[in-house]
Formats: sequence, C-alpha cells, structure tokens
Amino acid sequence: MSSIRHVRGFDVARPLSVVTLLAIMLPLILLPISSIFLFGMRGGLDDFWKALSAPEAVFALKLSLVTSFWATVFNVLFGVFAAYALSRYRFRGRTALIVIISLPTSIPTAVAGFALLLLWGPYGTLGRLLAPHGEQIMFTAGAIILANIFVTFPLAFGVIKPVLDTMSRSLEEASATMGATRRQTFWHVTLPGLRGAIVSGALLTFARAIGEFGSTILVSGNLAARTQTAPLYIFAKFNEGDVVAANAIAIVLALFSFAIFSVLFFARDWLEAE
Amino acid sequence: MRLSEMAVSVRGLGKSFGRASVLEEISFDVAEGEALVLLGASGSGKTTVLRIIAGLEDPDTGKVILHGRDVTELPARERGVGVIFQDYALFPKMTVEQNIGYGLRLRRRPRQEIGKAVEGLLALVKLEEHRRKYPSQLSGGQRQRVAIARALAYQPEALLFDEPFGALDAQTRIHLRREIRSLLKEVNAPAIFITHDQEEALELGDRIAVLNAGRIEQVGAPEEVYNQPRTEYVASFLGAANLLLGVVNRGRIEIGSAAVSACEETRQLRDGQSVKLVFRPEDVLLRRDGALSENSRRLAWGTIEEVRFAGGYERLTVRLNLASPGAEDEPALSIASGRLPEKSIGVPVIATRSKLEAASLPLKAGDRVVVGLTALRALPNFTLATERASRTVEMSA
Repeated sequence: MSSIRHVRGFDVARPLSVVTLLAIMLPLILLPISSIFLFGMRGGLDDFWKALSAPEAVFALKLSLVTSFWATVFNVLFGVFAAYALSRYRFRGRTALIVIISLPTSIPTAVAGFALLLLWGPYGTLGRLLAPHGEQIMFTAGAIILANIFVTFPLAFGVIKPVLDTMSRSLEEASATMGATRRQTFWHVTLPGLRGAIVSGALLTFARAIGEFGSTILVSGNLAARTQTAPLYIFAKFNEGDVVAANAIAIVLALFSFAIFSVLFFARDWLEAE
Repeated sequence: MRLSEMAVSVRGLGKSFGRASVLEEISFDVAEGEALVLLGASGSGKTTVLRIIAGLEDPDTGKVILHGRDVTELPARERGVGVIFQDYALFPKMTVEQNIGYGLRLRRRPRQEIGKAVEGLLALVKLEEHRRKYPSQLSGGQRQRVAIARALAYQPEALLFDEPFGALDAQTRIHLRREIRSLLKEVNAPAIFITHDQEEALELGDRIAVLNAGRIEQVGAPEEVYNQPRTEYVASFLGAANLLLGVVNRGRIEIGSAAVSACEETRQLRDGQSVKLVFRPEDVLLRRDGALSENSRRLAWGTIEEVRFAGGYERLTVRLNLASPGAEDEPALSIASGRLPEKSIGVPVIATRSKLEAASLPLKAGDRVVVGLTALRALPNFTLATERASRTVEMSA
C-alpha cells in the first residue's frame, strides 16, 4: 500500500482524516458494538457461558446456522445461474428481470415475511393447496429458509453478475475453438473465473441471513426450541428482561460476523491471486 | 491448384449486420505452411473474416473449407483451428502447462501423451522454466507464446492470429514478429494474420490481402502489393504514396503543364483517359541542375518547402510547379518578379532520401529542384471530379 505523495514534508491531512474517521465511527458503530461486549461480560465469564449453553440458546444458534446455510446454498446456485443467463443472453424483459431480482434489497423485511404468510399461510394462495394434505410450510424451519432466501436473494447475484459481465468473451471463445462443448467451457473456464465472486457472494448471503430478524419473526412462529432463530432468541430474552442471555448470543453473532468479514477481506485477495 | 491441396479456402464470404454490409465476396486461399496477412483499417471487416473461419460467427453467404473439408456449418469446437486472440485469452486459473494441455484433455488423450506433448511445446516456445506459473505472472511476449503453444497442441488445421501484437510495445513487437515467423516455418503450420500495421504485414506475410470496406482490393506477395498496387487504396494504405491526377496522352501522363513519359504504364489505357499517377516517396529523385540520371523520368520543377529529419532518412515536401507552361523552365523570372506563384498554386509531393543522398546534395527550404521519378504507377481514375486534384497520403509516420 502506498499513500498519496504529492505533498512535501509532513502531511497534516493523513492523521486528521484517520482521526475524523474514527470520531465518526465511534458513536455510530464502535461504541454500540462494544457495549454489547461490556454488558454481556458484566456477570463474568461464568454467567456468559451459562447463558450461552442454555438448551434454548444452543438450539437457536444451530437453527440459525442450518437455515442460513440452506438459504445460502440456494441463492449461490441461483445467483450463478441467473447471472450467467442474464449476462450471456439478450432477450425481451431482461432488464426487468435484473431489476426484479434486486427488489428485495429495499423491501422492508417485515413486508417480506408478511408476503410469504399471504402466499403460504393456511389461508394463502398456495398454502390452501397444501393444507388439505396436512402439510404446512409456515411456522417451520422451512419457512425460515424461505424468508432468508427472499431477503438475501440479490446479494450473491449482485456480486457474481458484474464479474461475469467483465469476463473477457474471448476466454469462452478460445475454449470453444480448442474443442470444448458449452458445458465443458462452463466447468473449466467460466466457473473457475467466478471462484472469488462465489465465495464472496456466499459469505455475504450467509452473514446477512444469520442476522435476519424482521421476516423470520413473522413466518417462524417464534417458538422457543422449535422455530426460534438466534436473533429471535435475543429479542425474546430482551423482552423478558434477561439482558445477560440476550447479550451472550449477541456477542456470538457479532464475533461470527467479524469472522465472516475478515475471511471475506483476506480470502478475496487470496482467491484473486494468480 | 486444387482446393483440397489448400489448407484454408474461403469462397465468396458475405456478411451484413442489419442493413450494413460488412463483407462482400471475400475469397482467398492459404496453402500448407503459408502465412497470409489480412491487412485493413479498423472497420474493414478483417476481424469478421477471422471469426467466420474460426466458427465464432456465421457468414450470410459463402463457404469455409479447411483441408478440403467444408466446415461452414460446423460449430467452432469441431473445426479444429487454433485462434490466438488479441488478448491471448489464456485461462487465468490454469498454469502454463494446464493451458497448453487443455485442448488435449478435451480430446481425452491419455495422460502420458498429454504430458509428452506439453513437454515438447514448452521446449518449442522456450517456456520450460515457467511451466507452473499462472498467466498473470508472465510478460506479454511469454503470454503470446503460451497462446501459440496452446493452439499448436492439438495440431490445428490452421492458426489464426487476431491483431497479435496490438497489446505490445514497439520493441517487443518487432522481436516477437521475427520469433513467430521462424516458429511458423519450423512447425510448417498455415497461418492467417489480421493486422492494420503495414510494416507487420510486409514482414509476416508470404502473401498479403488488402481489405477495404469489406472487400479484398488486392492479394499478392509483399513486393507485388507494394510495388504494383492495383488501387489507390492499396497504394496509400501499404506504405506512403503520392497521388497526382493526370490525363493520358500518347504514352505520356500530363499533369497540368507537366508531363511524364509512361509508355509501359499506360499501355492498357487510351488517350484522353483520366488517371491517377501514383509514386512512392523513395522513388522521387531531386536534382538541382535539371540533369536527371538515366533511370529516372522527369516530372516537373518544384520548390523545396520543408526538410525534415526522420531518423534513418530525410523527408522533404516539394511543391511542384504546375502553373502556366514555360514558367517552370525560367526560375529566374519568377524570382526576379518578386513572387513565388507555385507557393500557392503548386501541388505538394513527399520525397524521402537516404543519408547518403542527402549528404551528396544538401537541400533546404526554398531551393528549386527538378523532380524525377524512378518508378510510378498509373491507375484509371474512377473517382468523381469533385475530388481534390491531388493528395498525398502518408501512412508511415
């Protein structure tokens, strides 16, 4: 990393901008996060550990991991497919599709949950078809996955598509002239080129899904040890006044998110290398 | 020669995008081991020809025949040609070895055979110690060699080079040109080069096809295309050329008050026909005293307007005096009258002289000289009368 060098001697702008940056981030981001740690640890490590190992807490964390995982798998596969189709082919309504895929970004997550209820709920358009067979998607882990998919839908796509768009067409053409079928070209040339974007997209999706609250609280039913994800557990414990329990999970989520974005930052350099 | 003996035959290719016609009636052959250069400005359609041969683009009309096999309807992967793309298109996540072996892996050759072939190709392009590197770790020239080795791996029907030196600096360019030339002779593969660089075309091609606005204007050996251009475009695109409008009159070409004898060149033309007199700057001979040597033909008197040092040679702008008859032989008169009419009404031509010539007869702006030509071409003039009486096209800067 090299800094700008067009000023002779001591450059005041550098320390000044770093201090300003920290001054802005402190009340907005850094202090709120550190207060979680302060409050969570107030009772000491023992209380923290006890709160964390409560069966309901463990269940909530596990449920969050599992549902986020499946939502990520789906959205990455879909993201690669959608990005490929939308960047390689020109057809009517292509732009409309790109816009629609991006919609969930600005839709309030509660609205997303509400919309899913309207569709899949016992009296919903599709839910009504399932109900006579004794099937029910809403208020299960499946509903949480659906909500996560909806909310994180544009993330992987948004990372993968620009990479595909800028990938030189001559790579795929070269592969074809060398004798590759379209499928071979995709596996050997296109997909390896997307490696970094896929990892980034997956981590972003997973990080976003694991913290999802607004939509899951509506579709999951929020039943402790059954359909309660980590964020819902935090909210429930907070409402009960059990701040220590709420904070314990919050710390785990915060550390988790820290880990994901660290990986994202370092892995990208590593993946783009060569 | 029969078609089947040709490595590549292109017959009557035509292509239009929407209403714009990009290619018309493109036909040429490339023999085994021969290098053909498609030379043209950007937009001349040369890249489209290449893409059609490779199978990356469909022609509207015409055929592509590789070693006697009509491949017009085949997709790119079944044609077996090797394309060296302008950006080389090396697979960034594969090592040099993997890139070179890709074509053979697709053909499901046994691993041992692939290893051996890759080994041979690495030696051929002298990249043995770079085998485990990724393309991003290589220089431009090394990348290009990988691209060539990768295409050679599966014994291609032909090698197609798309502006192969576009991304390289001038030094590397000249070096690689020679390298590729000897490499091609070594493997005896037929090759088609696409370029807009005339110098590159002259050096790389066994033959050159000059493309203009989707048509081939002339195909021939470099000397032939350079020395006997068949059209004004060829003359001006390949090297520099002076063009003067004239009229044929009994074995002479008359340009205003001047005339140059051209029995040989005007044999196919009739008297009174409008022609373009084409000659290269290096074919212009300048003498101060009007005594031209045997092998040159006198054109007219002129005044040196500018002398420029251009490295290995000297470039002069000479304004021909084509004004009222008689004036050209009496330089003293116009000087005595205090005006230089040829300054405003004359026609400029470009001449180049070697260092040796320049030293034996130093010239400076304002000198009056007699202009002779050692070689010239007369092309029938089909262009409209509205075109300027003459013009100089300078392609090499």
